[in-house]
Amino acid sequence: MHKLLILLSSLIALTVLYCPVQAKQIDVESIVNRANLAAYYAGDDGRATVNMTITDSQGRERKREFVLLRKDKIDGGEQFFFVYFKKPSDVRKMVFMVHKHINTDDDRWLYLPALDLVKRIAASDKRTSFVGSNYLYEDVSGRGINEDTHELIETTNEFYVVRNTPKNPNTVEFSSYTVWIDKTTFLPMKTLYIDKNNKEYRLVEALEVQKFNTLPTVTISKATDLSSGSSTRVEFSAVRYDIGLKENIFSERYLRRPPREVRK
Amino acid sequence: MQPANTLIEFSLRKPKTVTVLMVLITLLLGALIAKVHVDTDPENMLSKDEFVRVFHDQTKMEFNLHDVVVLGIVNEHDPDGVFNPATLKKIDTLSKYAATLSDPDNPDRRVVDRDIIAPDNVDNIQQAGIGQVRFEWLMKEPPTTRKQALRIRDDALNNPLLRGTLVSEDGRALAIYLPITSKDFAHTVSSRLKQKIAEIGTGEDQFYITGLPVAEDTFGKEMFIQMAICAPLAMVMIFLLMLIFFRKLQLIVSPLIIAMCTVISTMGLLIGTGNTLHIMSSMIPIFIMPIAVVDSIHILSEFFDEYQNRLDRRATIVHVMGHLFKPMLFTSLTSSAGFASLAFTPIPPVQAFGIFVAIGIMLAWLLTIIFIPAYIMLMKESSLNNFGVSKHVSVRAEKSPINRHLRWIGTTAIRMPWLVIGFNIAVMVVGVIGILMIQVNDNPVKWFKKTHEIRVADKVLNAHFGGTYEAYLILEGKNIAMTPQKAADWLTSYLDQRLAESPAIREKVLNEILEATVTTTSEQELTNALTKAWENELDQTAADDDIGYDRWSTALDALDRLRNQKEIFKRPDMLNYISGLQAFMNKQGDVGKSNSISDVTKKVHQELFAGDPAHFSIPETVNGVAQTLISYQNSHKPDDLWHLVTPDYTRANIWLQLKSGDNKDMERVVKDVERYLTDHPAPVQLGHNWAGLTYINVVWQEKMVTGMLKSFLSSFVVVFIMMTVLFRSAIWGALAMIPLTFTIGIIYGVIGLIGKDYDMPVAVLSSLTLGLAVDFAIHFLQRTRMTMARTGDWTAAVTDMFEEPARAIFRNIIVISVGFTPLLFAPLIPYQTVGIFLAAIMLYSGLTTLWILPAILTVIQKWIFKKEIKAHAQERQALNSNSRKNHA
Repeated sequence: MHKLLILLSSLIALTVLYCPVQAKQIDVESIVNRANLAAYYAGDDGRATVNMTITDSQGRERKREFVLLRKDKIDGGEQFFFVYFKKPSDVRKMVFMVHKHINTDDDRWLYLPALDLVKRIAASDKRTSFVGSNYLYEDVSGRGINEDTHELIETTNEFYVVRNTPKNPNTVEFSSYTVWIDKTTFLPMKTLYIDKNNKEYRLVEALEVQKFNTLPTVTISKATDLSSGSSTRVEFSAVRYDIGLKENIFSERYLRRPPREVRK
Repeated sequence: MQPANTLIEFSLRKPKTVTVLMVLITLLLGALIAKVHVDTDPENMLSKDEFVRVFHDQTKMEFNLHDVVVLGIVNEHDPDGVFNPATLKKIDTLSKYAATLSDPDNPDRRVVDRDIIAPDNVDNIQQAGIGQVRFEWLMKEPPTTRKQALRIRDDALNNPLLRGTLVSEDGRALAIYLPITSKDFAHTVSSRLKQKIAEIGTGEDQFYITGLPVAEDTFGKEMFIQMAICAPLAMVMIFLLMLIFFRKLQLIVSPLIIAMCTVISTMGLLIGTGNTLHIMSSMIPIFIMPIAVVDSIHILSEFFDEYQNRLDRRATIVHVMGHLFKPMLFTSLTSSAGFASLAFTPIPPVQAFGIFVAIGIMLAWLLTIIFIPAYIMLMKESSLNNFGVSKHVSVRAEKSPINRHLRWIGTTAIRMPWLVIGFNIAVMVVGVIGILMIQVNDNPVKWFKKTHEIRVADKVLNAHFGGTYEAYLILEGKNIAMTPQKAADWLTSYLDQRLAESPAIREKVLNEILEATVTTTSEQELTNALTKAWENELDQTAADDDIGYDRWSTALDALDRLRNQKEIFKRPDMLNYISGLQAFMNKQGDVGKSNSISDVTKKVHQELFAGDPAHFSIPETVNGVAQTLISYQNSHKPDDLWHLVTPDYTRANIWLQLKSGDNKDMERVVKDVERYLTDHPAPVQLGHNWAGLTYINVVWQEKMVTGMLKSFLSSFVVVFIMMTVLFRSAIWGALAMIPLTFTIGIIYGVIGLIGKDYDMPVAVLSSLTLGLAVDFAIHFLQRTRMTMARTGDWTAAVTDMFEEPARAIFRNIIVISVGFTPLLFAPLIPYQTVGIFLAAIMLYSGLTTLWILPAILTVIQKWIFKKEIKAHAQERQALNSNSRKNHA
């Protein structure tokens, strides 16, 4: 394992040394690919406790706490999400589950314990709010990289700045968005959305990055609605990767009786 | 009257200085008008710190509400109404266009794009195949087929939040609601929309724009046109009439100059002192003008009748001013007092109006006193040659129709005084009955004529939709705080049973509750302390200890439940209560539609259960409601919820759509709600308050009515005292009040009888009545006393009175009532009202003065003229005895 790592890193170093020109001209598709993997496919699976604070334009706060479980089927491909709510208490045990697909619509489920109801939610439009926050469902599970055309508009000391334009503009509310991707971690550190009247209206930022199992992970993130002034801040804690989540816990059966992994 | 003589002497000697001074001061003050700041907001009828305004603003902020411009689209030709691809495409274009509207100079004045209610900007929750729900824009893109178009209609009709609001109940019309950040942006939005509509072509569709902000803002804009057209036109009319009466162009220019100088100076003063030009203050010129010319007409009228007898302008002026000075001063003072009393109303624009009309009146008086003599002196004596009655005959012989009628009035008054008195009392009784029928009501939309596009739009849209007038009923829990002891008791009883199967945990929990009761001082402290402790326990529970995990979760649940008791608008019983209240309001007929958190909950609940109508209900538990609502927040516009409830669920907003903006209708709604809340106590004691423009109008109206009444009564008393001082007799003072009392009685009686609403202009007119009616009485009585003192014979005095004094009054009546006929053609109702009632007031107060006063005086002549009769009797006796002596 150790030897393999050394070999791998020296291989990368060699490539960089021998092909300086290519390294500088890393093409935009691979930047976007790597960013997608870094942001959504770290490890084979993972869990985190998420504390969410929604602050509206009047400064009123609402808090949510949930546990996020994720398992990837293939890196960059299908994956599963399981969101188990802990707070506020009146939504405790509520579960939101996603089976993310690449070329077809995702499958999404909502379990409402107080109504004893498992409901499937059509995922034809993923740009709806995630439980009333400034994050969208698409932010939680990731926007398909094939849905936009990408353009590297700037390379700074720290970032690759990529502008993304939707291939099918009718399905989204933005006209384009620009992502600042960290050159070393490939984590998207800032995403700025432009609306159809060419106005900046939405900003998602990574405010803190930590490493868990050597994997750089965004631990504090904030989404701001620039026109209303409301924002949502999420903090990730108890982050663990590669904990051996089984695929079968991401099934309808587990909605009513959540797996133990959600507890801690 | 020493200073008066000095003043008149001065202007007779230095006419040029006087004129130059007047023009200079007018120009100086007039320059201040450039600083004008227009304010057409009826909200400003109340001072900024008035509770209802503070609450309205607070509510708007708290629930993110804005004033709304409504764009309605109706299609009477297409079988599907507006739900055809072509019309929906237009609607989509207009909505997207409206979203971009903002003031380039001030980006804060704009359409709030995110809160637009339009098919492309509202989210809908609906079934998406078996077992699935979907959050989807109602009209993501304009449809291309009839089927798609009808689908949009049906989706909207199926959503109780949209039915009657966005889509008409009959499914044929559609309304877009455009929230604006500032009311004074409404007119811009409306005109830009009209441009855009013209651009895309109406086709078979009709487009209507309405909403209170549009009405109010448009009124302001049109108000200026009115001021610019009507006031000068009225001036021209007065001018023409005077020309007919006095025939001397040069001479009658003078009252016009006085009117103009007075209006300009007063407006300059108003604006210069930092007042805004409000709907009320825009009427100042119209009120000042008649009063400003009245004094001049008295002087000119007398001058006209007297000049040919003397053929010396200086002597004539001195003579005329001699007996007009006192009545003019007093009429001006009383009119001023009448208006100044408005300063005591609790409505700032009415205060400004009253004060500045009062100032204007005194200014007009001053200018009349100094400028008319100066003006006459500046004319060449020769140019007066043919002025006035040309023949050197007694004026009495003149047989013009005016004179004949005036004399007829005078004759009936003295021949059949009781008939005249009786008739007027009968009229007065009818008047009082009418007054009792008066309906206090106002509605800014009704300030426009019936044919005005805003009125038309208002009618059409309110026929189709739940209503375009908005009011907000805010509910909040009262006395919901708990003591730590009470909270602890609740926790104990809640957890005792639920933890029974784990005695160890149960004991620990109950002990900790007991401890916390001692160590904490508030419910919040108690729950916080316990939360911390029990979360710690939960964390320390082993991963495989399912039971332990469950038990501590239950304990934490209990704490949240306790906390949530403050979140009363998540409680099913409270939501059902709101639904009950809404159903009641909708049944009363004034509320076309209402929207609340209960409606959202029911709709989402229903869709979660496959659209089953049986589930169009409030879930049975608090958690059920909470989870339903959090499902709703997975939509495109989760924040829509916060228009109806605060995020802490302690305050709820019921959004009412009223079909009418009439204050009386809003008042009825308020009363209905009061009754319901008293008769049906809520599960949690509730406090309630109202916000919304429709309600604000009710509040200022109430203040206006009581304020006006008080101010009228107080000025009535003040005028009476002034009259008593003027005539040095309470009886004469009382006599002076009679025409005024009758005029008020009959005018307001007619208002009540014909069902004309008692609104802002009508209320203000009472002050004008007071001013004008007392004017005539003063002139009449003052002259009567002078003539009586001279002749000592009532019949002779009355005959005298019905010559020049009566003609002066008559000319005034005609000039002012006809002079203001241009107001009748104004497209704005308040101006029409003022025009009509001004004429009616002039006519009736003149009539009562000339009719009732002589009749009453005839009846009481022996008593009231005791002194004069006695003096003359003695004189005659002396005369007789002298002649007898001579004979002897």
